[in-house]
This record gives sequence, structure tokens and C-alpha cells, in this order.
Amino acid sequence: MTASVLGPAPAMTPRPVPWHRLAWVTWRQYRTTLLAMLGLLAVVAGVLLARGHQMRDAYAAVQACAPQASAACRFAFLQFRDSYGNTGPIGALFVWLPAIVGGFAGAPLLARELETGTFRYAWTQGVGRTRWMVALTTAGVLGVALLSAVFGVLISWYQQPLIATDIQQRLHTSFFPVTGVAVTGWALAAFTLGVFVGLLTRRVLPALALTLAVWTGLAFLASSIRDHYLAPLVTSNQQLGSGAHPIDQWWTKGGAHATDAQINQVLQGIGVQTDGGGNIVAGPGSGTIDPVQYLTQHGYTQLTSYQPGSRYWTFQWIEFGWLTILSALLLGASVLLLRRRPA
Amino acid sequence: MNILETSDLGRRCGADWALRDCTLAVPEGHLVALVGPNGAGKTTLLNIAVGLTAPTEGAITVLGDIPVGSPEALDRIAFVAQDMPLYRNLSVTDMLHLTRNLNHMFDIAYARDRLDDLAVAQKRKIGKLSGGQRAQLALTLALARHPRLLVLDEPTASLDPVARHDFMATVVTAMTDDGISVILSSHVLAELERVADYLVLLTQGAVRLHGVVDDLLRQHLLVTGPAGTPADPRWHMLESREAGAQQILLVRVDSPPGTPLPVQWEARPVGVEELALAYLRESTNYTRPVSVEATP
Repeated sequence: MTASVLGPAPAMTPRPVPWHRLAWVTWRQYRTTLLAMLGLLAVVAGVLLARGHQMRDAYAAVQACAPQASAACRFAFLQFRDSYGNTGPIGALFVWLPAIVGGFAGAPLLARELETGTFRYAWTQGVGRTRWMVALTTAGVLGVALLSAVFGVLISWYQQPLIATDIQQRLHTSFFPVTGVAVTGWALAAFTLGVFVGLLTRRVLPALALTLAVWTGLAFLASSIRDHYLAPLVTSNQQLGSGAHPIDQWWTKGGAHATDAQINQVLQGIGVQTDGGGNIVAGPGSGTIDPVQYLTQHGYTQLTSYQPGSRYWTFQWIEFGWLTILSALLLGASVLLLRRRPA
Repeated sequence: MNILETSDLGRRCGADWALRDCTLAVPEGHLVALVGPNGAGKTTLLNIAVGLTAPTEGAITVLGDIPVGSPEALDRIAFVAQDMPLYRNLSVTDMLHLTRNLNHMFDIAYARDRLDDLAVAQKRKIGKLSGGQRAQLALTLALARHPRLLVLDEPTASLDPVARHDFMATVVTAMTDDGISVILSSHVLAELERVADYLVLLTQGAVRLHGVVDDLLRQHLLVTGPAGTPADPRWHMLESREAGAQQILLVRVDSPPGTPLPVQWEARPVGVEELALAYLRESTNYTRPVSVEATP
């Protein structure tokens, strides 16, 4: 029925399939994902560049205002802060970018093979499943790292005038994890988590959902431990340096921590109360006396713990470090599991 | 050289054994039919043989003394899994490139020629191919790797009769032209009867019967005698039924061929399907696997 006949089989060679052969396999595997990611990058870049240039023009106008101390210039600055200080829906998107870049590349990698049964094809080819997995995850890690770094640079560039005017702090939780090297760490964590979860769930959609859920939990956890990467500084100065990220505030008297009850007792004199959360609220009949000054006059000192803005890069590398270790562990666990996992 | 050698191989799935006490030694150069009902452990055995699944107990080697799943084994064994899993969103051409890049050797010219002969449009997405074309593509990809052993899991289950015939013809051609060994599983024995020359019968996770088909047929007889006549004590009775005043027995004869039958008994040779069915029915009161040594 067929005229074609197999030629003689070449001599058997048990040496492994060379890596460069896997380059094409990798490209074919990720092509669609890569195109989708580049599309997303184009959209995000378009929005950020357009709004970023608009913001820079507005910022230039604020800077050009003279004299800087005048009420008109102060007003211009406040207007600038009101229009650009709140990133709104774009800001919400920023936070998810590393998860989207990593999760959508990582979760389907093994889950799709397992879901559609094509692993029976892929893992019985001469290359072997370990080499196949190493090639695909290496390419995935590099691609995800590069793409997330580009997103990070874009977001950094966009926020630069807000950072310069101290409207936004670089250590703030909506900025810190999506810039610098941390953004790459978070994207790699999403990618490796996706690969690992995909191997466990064997289904693409549950793998993706679970990856995003676990990643979000991890991001929440990180935002609370980030303040303690290094011991916070404490100051009685009301004015923290530019870029400082405040953590906590409390009152002391004679070196001892002052309770809310003590503060309230003192503040009764001017008809002001604390709200229990440490904030001071004006009660009915309160005068024009500044409660903070009033407390200071009575021998109380307000202390603030904070992280100085200069620690940004130290914290970036700390966050990148532990996320990279976590990613390496997840990848190692995935490879081990893949080698043993019965199909 | 044995293409497949197992001893006390077993795999547990939860509380049940998908395969148990499987001891086999299949010599090379055969088209081996792995037959059994659904859930007999055929897929489990094949998955272990191609390195997809690890056995719970026992030992297995392929193509001489090569461990399963090793680079050599992966290189020399081509596997076509049940339902031909291929990337449906890839074109045929991309699938050829993919397989070429995932293997040491891949005869892409042979693959292209064969697909042209079969009139498979190579620009088409695999998801748009017919079932028969997809099966032929999967088989072509496997053959173009120049395997020493071709393993096919239920390859014809989803094919229509014409596609099934074409598929089997390709397998037989590859066997005779290239001298490769083939292991093929099926729950339909009829389609293998004409092509398979080695039979492995599995039921409930255990091997019931295995050997070269001709030897198996030589050692089994369908004997007919008057009802009530005692049977020869050297016969191992597999099945008996009464037809009027006659009783018909399917027996295994352990005595050398040519031994005269007891008086009043007549014998005729048995067919492969008949034989397999008898062993499948008998499996409920089965005692030990039957192995027939190849006669020199």
C-alpha cells in the first residue's frame, strides 16, 4: 500500500539528544503564550507611556512654577497629586502582572500535557522526560524573567515623578513588588508554582486558579513581613526623610510607652479623643489647639518606626533572594516528582 | 534476545492490583498480541514497558537487558498510546519537526513520503484530521524513528474497518521490511488472529497464557466423544459442553504430538479465538499461568 520503505537503521547510539534540538521544541511550545504576553506588554506599555508622558508634562509645569513657596504653586502641586497620585485601576493591574506573566506560562506547561494525554507522546520520545522538562523550564524561566523585568522598568519609569515628589514611596506595597528585581522574583515564583501545581492537579484551569490563589496568599504574607527585613528605624522627628515608609506610631513619656487611656486623659483638657486605633479625632467643642503640640507640651513624645527609602535596593535583593530560593525548590520538587510520577 | 522480560511484575493502584505476578519472556521478531478484556492490565503492562509507569514490585527489562525508561530504551522503543495523543493545535508538518527534534534519529523523508502516499495534507492541523489519518500519522511518527520495538496500545479501537485494515497492513509491512518487533494490545482478538504470531493473554491483572501461536495451537485440541465417556487423564480440560449425545471438550495435551487418542474420541485443531475465549472463561478458577515452550 505504500512505496516508501525505511532505510537501514543507523548504528545505535545511546548518547542523549543534543540541547540545541530542543530549542525548536521550546519555541513551538511557548509561541502562543509568548505572543499573548507580548500583546499584553504592548497594551500596558501603551497605557503607561501615554499617561506617563502626560504626567511628566504636568510635573514639568509644577516644577516650573515660581516662586515655589507661593499659594498658587502649592495649589498646582496638590492638583498634580490629585490627578496622578492615585493610580487607580492601572495600579490594581500592576500588582497582578508578575502573577499573570508567570502563572500563564507555568501552569499549562505540565498540566496541559497531563490533561490532554500528550505526555504519553512527549515522555516516550528519545529525549526523555527529564531533558524535555529541563529545556522547557529553563526557557520558561528566562522568558518570564526577561518579560517581568521589562514590566518592572516600565512601571518604575511611570512612577518616577510620583517618587520624586514623595507622593508615592518606593517601599510601598503597591510599588515595591512590581519594580526592581522583586518583580522578577514574583514572576518566577508564579511560574514555578504553576509548573508544580500543574503536575499535581493535572488540569490546566484548576492549576491556573490554584497558582493565582497561592501566589496571592504569598504576596499578602510578604507585604506584612517586608517591613521587618531589617530592624525598622525609630525617630521622634515628625518629618521622616523623603521616601521613608512609616510602619507604626506611638506616644511615650519619660521613656515609657503611653497608653491610650493616658493620652485621652491629657487630651480631655482640649476636648479631643483618640479613636482607639491611635488616631486623634476632634470631639465636639474642641478648640483650635493642635493636639499633637498640646501633648508635646505636656511632656509626651511621639515616636515613629519606619524603613528609610535608602533601603529600597537592599530590600529588593532580600525579596528577590528568598523568592528565587523558593522558585528553585519548587522546580527541583517538580523535576523529582516528574521523574517518579506514574502516568 | 528477548524484547520483553518480566519477573513477578506488579503494579498496585490504590487497594487493587492492576497487574500482578506477571512473568514473561517474549523473544524478538514477533508480532505479539496482548489480549484481554477491558481492565485486564494491558495498558498498565505497556506503560511500564515504555517507562511511563514504575512497577510496584518485580523486575522488567526490554530489548535484551536494557532497563525500561533508560535513554537506550527510549531511543529504541516507539510507543503509540491509546487514542493517539498528539498535539491537536499543531500542523502535521510541525508535528514532524517536533518528533525529529525530540529524537536522535528521525527519517523525515520517509515520514513525508508516507504521509503523501496516504494523502494526509501536511499543512492541516492535527485536530482536523480524521481518526484514521491521525492513527496513520501517529504510526508514521513512530516508524520514522527506526525503533527496534514498536509498542501499540489499542491502536485500532477507534478506527473504522477500512482504516483498521490499512493500519494493520502498515504494521505488518514495517515488521517484514525492517525486522522490528511489535507488541500490540487489543480487546478484540478477531483482528489480530491473522497477523499475530505470539499471544499473551491477560485477565484480572494476571497472565493466563502466553507463547508462540503455532505452538499453542499444536498443544490444544477440540475433542469430541460420546457423553459419559471418561476423558484421557493426560488432558487438561479447559472447557466442556454437551451437544446431544456428544460431549465437546477443549483440552490442553501435555503428551507429545502424535500420541493416539483414546477410543471413541475424535479430535480437530482449535482456532486462536476459540482458545483465547476458553482461557478467558476459565480464568475464574485459574490456578497457574500456562506457558508453552517454543519447540525447536
